[in-house]
Amino acid sequence: MIRSTLVGVALVASLSIASIPARADPVNLTIGKLLEVTGPLSDTGPSQDKAVKIAVEYANEQATKAGVAIQAKDIGADVQGDPQAALSAARSLIDQGASCLIGPAITPESIAIANGVTIQKRVTIWPVGTSMRLRTIKDEGTIFRTVPPDSLQALALVDAAIDKLGTAEGKVASVVYRNEPYGEGLARDFSAAWQAKGGKIQGPVVFDPAQATFDSEAGQTVANNPDAYIIIDYPDTYAKLGAALVRTGKFDPTKAFVADALAFSTVPNNIPPQAIEGARGTRGGTPTGTDAYKIFDDLWQKAGGVEHYSLDANSFDSATLCFLAAAAAKSSDPGAITDHVRAVTTPGAQKYYLSNLADALKAVDSGQKIDYVGVAGAFEFAANGDPTVSLFDIFEYQQGKLVVLKQIDASK
Amino acid sequence: MRRSDSSLGRGGDAPPFASALWRRTPPIAWLAIALVLIGLMLTAVVGPTAAGQATLNGLVGAGYFALGAVGLTLVYGVLRLVNFAHGDMLTFGTYVTLGVTALGVPFWPSAAVGMIVTALLAILLDRVIWEPMRRARTSTLQLFLVATGLALVLRYSVQFFAGSQVRTVGLDTTSSLNFGPWHLGTLQLDVMLVGLATILLTGAGLRYTRLGKEMRAVADNIALAEVTGIDTRRTIRATWLVAGGLAALAGILYAASIGTINPNFGFTILLSLFAAAVLGGIGNAYGALAGGVVIGLSQEWSTLFFNTRWKPAIGFAILILTLLLMPRGIFGRKKARL
Repeated sequence: MIRSTLVGVALVASLSIASIPARADPVNLTIGKLLEVTGPLSDTGPSQDKAVKIAVEYANEQATKAGVAIQAKDIGADVQGDPQAALSAARSLIDQGASCLIGPAITPESIAIANGVTIQKRVTIWPVGTSMRLRTIKDEGTIFRTVPPDSLQALALVDAAIDKLGTAEGKVASVVYRNEPYGEGLARDFSAAWQAKGGKIQGPVVFDPAQATFDSEAGQTVANNPDAYIIIDYPDTYAKLGAALVRTGKFDPTKAFVADALAFSTVPNNIPPQAIEGARGTRGGTPTGTDAYKIFDDLWQKAGGVEHYSLDANSFDSATLCFLAAAAAKSSDPGAITDHVRAVTTPGAQKYYLSNLADALKAVDSGQKIDYVGVAGAFEFAANGDPTVSLFDIFEYQQGKLVVLKQIDASK
Repeated sequence: MRRSDSSLGRGGDAPPFASALWRRTPPIAWLAIALVLIGLMLTAVVGPTAAGQATLNGLVGAGYFALGAVGLTLVYGVLRLVNFAHGDMLTFGTYVTLGVTALGVPFWPSAAVGMIVTALLAILLDRVIWEPMRRARTSTLQLFLVATGLALVLRYSVQFFAGSQVRTVGLDTTSSLNFGPWHLGTLQLDVMLVGLATILLTGAGLRYTRLGKEMRAVADNIALAEVTGIDTRRTIRATWLVAGGLAALAGILYAASIGTINPNFGFTILLSLFAAAVLGGIGNAYGALAGGVVIGLSQEWSTLFFNTRWKPAIGFAILILTLLLMPRGIFGRKKARL
């Protein structure tokens, strides 16, 4: 009798224990950063690093606050501005357990990484390169961008030029670009859009960044006194091209329009001021009046270090989205995260912001679909993984500093 | 007086005057004539403004390439070493100079320090690496590989200590001189003048000084030179001293004039330097000048007709064409002659 009672008690006890909902193992997420530390876009490295770092810290805090069992850490590697080196960097990060990779900034690197390792291992990458060349590969849903692509930036450039000149009709725009996909894509899309609006194109003048002199290219750009120069270049070569343009004696920087690679808060000291003072340009915009931006800026200032730089908010958002997707998947498995990115950016679902990230985490933890709106705006990714957000800043360099003149929606 | 290698045909086939003319005119004269003729044709086609500006731009490029190639060609001439690390010696010298200017020293004294330090580095490398290799009679290919490795070590050492970010020498790259419709950067003119002076001095030094004669003797036949009592080790060290100093000078002038550099810049320009040296007849100091001029001019003249994206390709296509016509380079002879 005692024995059967004991067995009965044991049975009931074990059944009750078994029926306690199993506590999920905490998710330990590693977010990899593909940073341009050396190479032509090395100016972007520090701010991208900082953006992901503060995103991870903030998300960890919010997860703890929400009681959701997920924590992340970030690790970084230098892509060196070179596709082969970028592929090695990506491999080393994945070997160290990275489930998503934020970056890189140069499209040939992104393509090399995608083709080399991330498509195969279903690891999401979140490049900040804006070239449309990225979308020529079949990425099987592993490449997402939080930055508007160049097809839209070209339209923004057209808008910026029309804003200054009044109209495109009959105006000559002299195009000069660096010989690689970013420049080629933007120049081509700009030319098509400009000519569609009645403008004329001079050039395009294409230059090899590795050569010793740029005087011929500069001469061809300023020839025949065009109404505007469209200059698509990176900071290190513009220091040389800009000097060559000034030496021609015919260059007027107030007629120049640059793209996002030449957008910096303060003009670096190796670019001669006469090459850029008064020039205007476009870059992916971030609405700065929102609560989300205030929180982001607050975190940025508290962290000290580098100032804001182009596309820092976008990488902040990429890291947050990766975190949310991992929370939704309840796993740090890269494939599971890939499958859940759209679950956290579902158009029509309840919107969540940086200000209520803790609630967003609770919602995804309980299996709901949400529409996360980042600092840079809502993403609502198109079928190919590019955002449908198209906010651009039109800025001007005044006394060596970037001043945003207005924000436009380029898709209109 | 040996008949020059460029002699054509036998005396009886053509009127004696023409063949004598061909035989006695050195290749450099033919080159100069060809360049002037092409220049005149261009002026007729595109007008003096465009042709003249393109020529000036080409001579600027020539200045960079010629100055950089002199050290390279000297080392090959005397040591038969294809110094793939030469570009990175340009980089090293430039960064040392930048380091000294950061201490507040003005530009030219800093450049002098840079040249001295690079010259000393060249001698150190010879003592530590090249001399043992010579004693072991390593083959050209193995020396080439060692030079490649050395290039990487130099480059990444510079990057380790100085960082990979772009730097500027800080001189005014925008000031330019205007002659009528043509313009030329002030710093660029400086590079051209210093380059020309350096090459002429080097050529004269090789011809008239005792050290120059010894270097030419060693270049010709090192065993014979030893036999005649020349201290070949001292001569080789002197060669490295000069090559290192010239590399630093080339690097710092290039950096000052172009405005922005990073630790890779020496390596990036190395291919053009080799092209200039080979084209001019590797082992010949004046060859470096001739080669630089041909490459610089052909690249910039090509922009008058082709899109600028083809510039490097056309420059090197002309290199191949010229080598097909003059396989040993413009000044080349059967044996490398300084």
